[in-house]
Amino acid sequence: MKLQTEVLVIGGGATGAGIARDLALRGIPVVLVEKGDYASGASGRNQGLLHSGGRYVVNDPESARECIRENAILRRIAPHCLEETGGLFVSLPEDGLEFQKRFLEGCLAAGIPARNLSAAEAREIEPELNPSLLGAVAVPDGAVDPFALVMENIRDACARGAKCLSHTEACELLTKDGWVKGARARGLIDKEDYTISASFVVNATGAWANRLLGPAGLSIPMAMSKGSMLITNRRISHRIINRLRPPGDGDIVVPNDTVSILGTTSIRSEDPDHSEATTREVSFLIRELARLLPVIKETRITRAYAGIRPLLQTGADHGDRSLSRGFALIDHGQRDRLENLVSIVGGKLITYRLMAEKVVDHISEKLGLAGSATTHLIPLPGAQGRHGLKERLKGLAAAAGAAGEILCECELVTREEIEGVLKGERLPDIQDILHRTRLAKGTCQGGFCVYRLLGVLHRLNLAPDDSNEILKGFLEERWKGTWPVLWGAALREGELIESIYKGLFQLSGEGRV
Amino acid sequence: MSIKEIKPACDVCVRCATCMSICPVSRVTGRFPGPKQAGPGAERFRNPGESSVDNWIELCLGCRLCETVCSSGVPVSELNLLARAKYLDEQGRPFRDWLLTHSHRLNGLGSLLAPLVNPLLTSRPVKWFLDRFLRIDGRMNLPPYESVSFRRWFRSRPGNSSGEITVGYFYGCYINVHEVDVGRATVEVLEACGRKVILPPQDCCGIPLLGHGDLAGAARLGNYNLRSFGELISRGEDIIFASPSCGLMIRHEYDRILALPGAREAAGHIFDIFEYLSLNEDCRAALSRGLSPLDKKAAYFVPCHLKALNIGLPAFELLSLIPGLKLDLLEADCCGLAGAFGFKKEKYDISQAIGRDLTRAAERINPDIIVSECEGCRMQIRSLTGLEVRHPVEVLRDALGSRP
Amino acid sequence: MRFDVIVIGLGLSGLMAAKTASEAGRRVLIVGKGIGSLGILSNTVDILGRASRDSLKEDVLAWIGDNPRHPYALAGWQGIEEALRSFVSLFPPPYDFSAPGGRNSLIPTGAGTRHPAYLVPATMLGGIDADWGKTLIVGFEGFKDFFAEYVAHHLKARGITIPLPRADQGGITATAIARLMEEPGFTGELAYGIKKRWAGEEAVGLPALLGVRSPAQVLRELESETKLKVFEIPILPPSIPGMRVFNRFKGHLLARGVRLLQGQAVVSVLREGRRIKGVTVYHAPLSRTFTCEACILATGRFLGGGLLADEEGIREPVFDLPLKKPSSRGGWFNKRFFSTSVHPLHFAGVMVNEKFQPVDGEGKPVFENLRAAGTIMACHSSIEETSREGIEIASGYAAARRACEL
Repeated sequence: MKLQTEVLVIGGGATGAGIARDLALRGIPVVLVEKGDYASGASGRNQGLLHSGGRYVVNDPESARECIRENAILRRIAPHCLEETGGLFVSLPEDGLEFQKRFLEGCLAAGIPARNLSAAEAREIEPELNPSLLGAVAVPDGAVDPFALVMENIRDACARGAKCLSHTEACELLTKDGWVKGARARGLIDKEDYTISASFVVNATGAWANRLLGPAGLSIPMAMSKGSMLITNRRISHRIINRLRPPGDGDIVVPNDTVSILGTTSIRSEDPDHSEATTREVSFLIRELARLLPVIKETRITRAYAGIRPLLQTGADHGDRSLSRGFALIDHGQRDRLENLVSIVGGKLITYRLMAEKVVDHISEKLGLAGSATTHLIPLPGAQGRHGLKERLKGLAAAAGAAGEILCECELVTREEIEGVLKGERLPDIQDILHRTRLAKGTCQGGFCVYRLLGVLHRLNLAPDDSNEILKGFLEERWKGTWPVLWGAALREGELIESIYKGLFQLSGEGRV
Repeated sequence: MSIKEIKPACDVCVRCATCMSICPVSRVTGRFPGPKQAGPGAERFRNPGESSVDNWIELCLGCRLCETVCSSGVPVSELNLLARAKYLDEQGRPFRDWLLTHSHRLNGLGSLLAPLVNPLLTSRPVKWFLDRFLRIDGRMNLPPYESVSFRRWFRSRPGNSSGEITVGYFYGCYINVHEVDVGRATVEVLEACGRKVILPPQDCCGIPLLGHGDLAGAARLGNYNLRSFGELISRGEDIIFASPSCGLMIRHEYDRILALPGAREAAGHIFDIFEYLSLNEDCRAALSRGLSPLDKKAAYFVPCHLKALNIGLPAFELLSLIPGLKLDLLEADCCGLAGAFGFKKEKYDISQAIGRDLTRAAERINPDIIVSECEGCRMQIRSLTGLEVRHPVEVLRDALGSRP
Repeated sequence: MRFDVIVIGLGLSGLMAAKTASEAGRRVLIVGKGIGSLGILSNTVDILGRASRDSLKEDVLAWIGDNPRHPYALAGWQGIEEALRSFVSLFPPPYDFSAPGGRNSLIPTGAGTRHPAYLVPATMLGGIDADWGKTLIVGFEGFKDFFAEYVAHHLKARGITIPLPRADQGGITATAIARLMEEPGFTGELAYGIKKRWAGEEAVGLPALLGVRSPAQVLRELESETKLKVFEIPILPPSIPGMRVFNRFKGHLLARGVRLLQGQAVVSVLREGRRIKGVTVYHAPLSRTFTCEACILATGRFLGGGLLADEEGIREPVFDLPLKKPSSRGGWFNKRFFSTSVHPLHFAGVMVNEKFQPVDGEGKPVFENLRAAGTIMACHSSIEETSREGIEIASGYAAARRACEL
């Protein structure tokens, strides 16, 4: 299939989605291709932290200022993708209070509202905090649902004329005489071949940036840093809990919907396609974060996962934590004599919109187009309401009375909701459905409800022929996240799930007579 | 108990749904999401700082059967109780519920004016009024009062209780004014076993208040009772109960849920009547000597709170020793009354649906008499089956030949 | 209180042990925290799923030859046979268990796959060798644990979802359906609903929810009202067929005067040298102690609570028995779920000798009068072997026989 557009965006993470929306808002034709589902790279594999900027005030004040500006914008345009939890930076005895002074000064300088709390005040609002804490500083951190944020950007971009293709991999950049002309792409599920001609190409593939550039003889100096995270079975704090010391490993706990996410580690990695947490990282995170919230030691961990941070290397290497979390817009015309190609790398989830704005400004300038960004003003669709925990629990009462089967009992996802998602768009992969709901994100990690989801698909005549192979594939994927945390109640649950699928359902291969 | 202590309970559940197969409520109505969902499931969504929205929490009977089947040890009933307390604290409790949980305050008056009150309780206009204005279902019969209360009978009876070993008897509000013979039988059986029975000062055990989420009210009653028991316990004397709900409350919930001072010490001195009889060699010996034949076909129904006490079936075992008595277990999980629950108009249908399973189980056995320790069960089974329903201690007393 | 034999655990192995000891005339206490995995996972009696020959006996004998530490090797074929006979005797017709042809049968499941079972309850026999082209699979609206279309798709049958008579709007649970099945007149209404959508099929497969108390009668009614062969298909937990087995055992044991304590765990034991004197059950805030001559540990694996795992390692919480186990947590599991080899942790557990006494690393009994039975034992992987009930029945029976020195 041949497609023609003004701008081709490669990569459907937060940045790519943001660029597509910005372009669409400015009326510039755009095609976006993503090899997996949207947000399946680092955008969907992070802690979901809506930074206030506090984390960067001492070491990277410029990032901090960016964060607090974007934080305010996101609260306006995407309230339904966020939870304004607030955050605490907690000083422990071993850290002392010296850093707190520099932190408060930094917040003041960056314009981040910060309030000093006594140990008692902090424990009053977050009872699980380590009782020996020295004090805490409250900042406007929040939690963000990265899947929702990316999906809303994609949805709005499409509604405004963008064409977005998921499960479509850009295989090769098309170039001619030092100008990029587009790319060849291939549908990984529908097996369709695409030739996409474009005046301008944006490489927003994150950790995969060099994989796209390599065949064209280009490369960017990037370090890949694996960050592992743990998901708890329940929410153990109401606010983001940071450790008040220079940013390091194992120092943030982010509440996310029903759960909390413990993070992170940073380990140099080579392969962005295979990022899994190890048992060693699991033990490290529990030990470190239990210093902040001792309850973590007794809390059930339901999953471990990892994401790859693509960090831009700018010079001397002082370890991955010291590499800039800022972003860089690389114009390959200036750098590599390949015109109308840019790569956007680095950055953080919270600055995705700003990154998109800079990219589109750059493209407009290059292509001589008028217009400026309005993404900071126009809210994302669906911004009117957010379904918090309370509303979902209320829904349980409604579901009990009216026509509503709860497919995912852990996260209270109804059949109705799933059918709504299925009506909205073509979702060729079962993981696509999981990315758009909270199904399988709770206590049993899809141990019961993915089977039910396949049942619903069968009933609607939407099921793939090999549904049991899909089920096995899901269980295999699930296993990657569960086996490193299988002990205690999670192991008991693991025995139950394995007994159902290997024992009762004989999915390892049916018994022979 | 603070939220902090109970939250971790939702980590323990493995979603196996065993509790769903025992819950009497969720099997008859879709309005209650079942123990797994209402307890550990919903707990993950609750924020102590926000108001409750789980209105279905009122449909939990508090039977505690879910806890008896859970191999993970999830304290489901405790989770539900605390959630209900919070819900009702916010929503407020109707006057009807105050009345149903404070009936013990009216017992003296009811007993005194029994000849006047009893016809009123069954009169159509009164029932219509209760149904219409208080939402106490008109199809239910409130239990009649006996004109001589158990306490009065005990004080005025000729021949004082004698014996070397003294036990205190916690008879409970219901027995005192509605089913005095159970109290008499308990005293007579204990005396036949050589026990001197005394009645320590006592108030309602508090389980109706606990069930309505009034933790403070229940604690007040509990503290009063524990102070009274303290005197006996310090002398090394035991306290006997014949009503499993009162017993469960005093022995376990005073400590587990209300954390009352002295509850832990008292728990080791509080016994179900049949548990006490079978634990003590001399009682067993005295009983086995004196049992005369009873030519009857009886069905024994195990009350939920007896299952929650987890003492086995000592009444079933002891009654099985009575010659001539053909005794079967009634295969039903719950009678459906659950104290005040079955009287509430909005819950009547659920209560009756649960009860229907029991009725059918009884029909399969077709007994002359049904026996059960719980007064609520007896009330419900009488109205469901029309059969004679008695406390096993009354049957035992009859077999001892000391029927008055 | 004093008992001859105390059985710890209310799963199938514990129930078998209590039945066996009680029938040998012993005064028995059986105590468990919950009701074990019967009501979760058991539908049929599985002995050895991978059996490939004509007779189970030959398969088991060959298996024993290859796996000399396996619980079956300790029980012996004769012991297994006796144990199965004892189990079967508890289920007289019409709801009886049988092994057609004396070998494994393939039972359709809720995923449309086929499960190899040895003893099959009467209500599931119709699903063996069904002519799928002439079979109708029926599911119910509002019931989320069985999807007829899913099952039918894989079995190449026809699947339909029908409204359930007398059900509330919205979701309905397995137990609620099982209860409706036994309400007077219900099967007639259900049969009518099935017949309305009938297109000439000869048999009807339904989720295994045909009542808890008298499933054979429900089946008979449905068959006579639809004039079709009817059978049950095992589904996601909870397992109604497993509850039937539990209830039958419970009734039998209570009628025999066995003391049954259900709801609290044994938290500690009384020991005197190398003998167990008794066990303590904790029911907050009370501890109660029961003494015994012999004790049988049948607390299951992790799911049942027989083995506990934390971040550091695994242990047996009641007697702190020595365990066979992988060295560190990193080695508990394979990196693939559907790995061709068994996850190493599955072989972990309590090592026992041929008297079913737990032994230490040198093979010496830890306690003279303690036996272990069921899946807590090491050297099997009941999930992959499809041998759960076989191990539970055979070892529960054998451990109790040896405890009673029979």
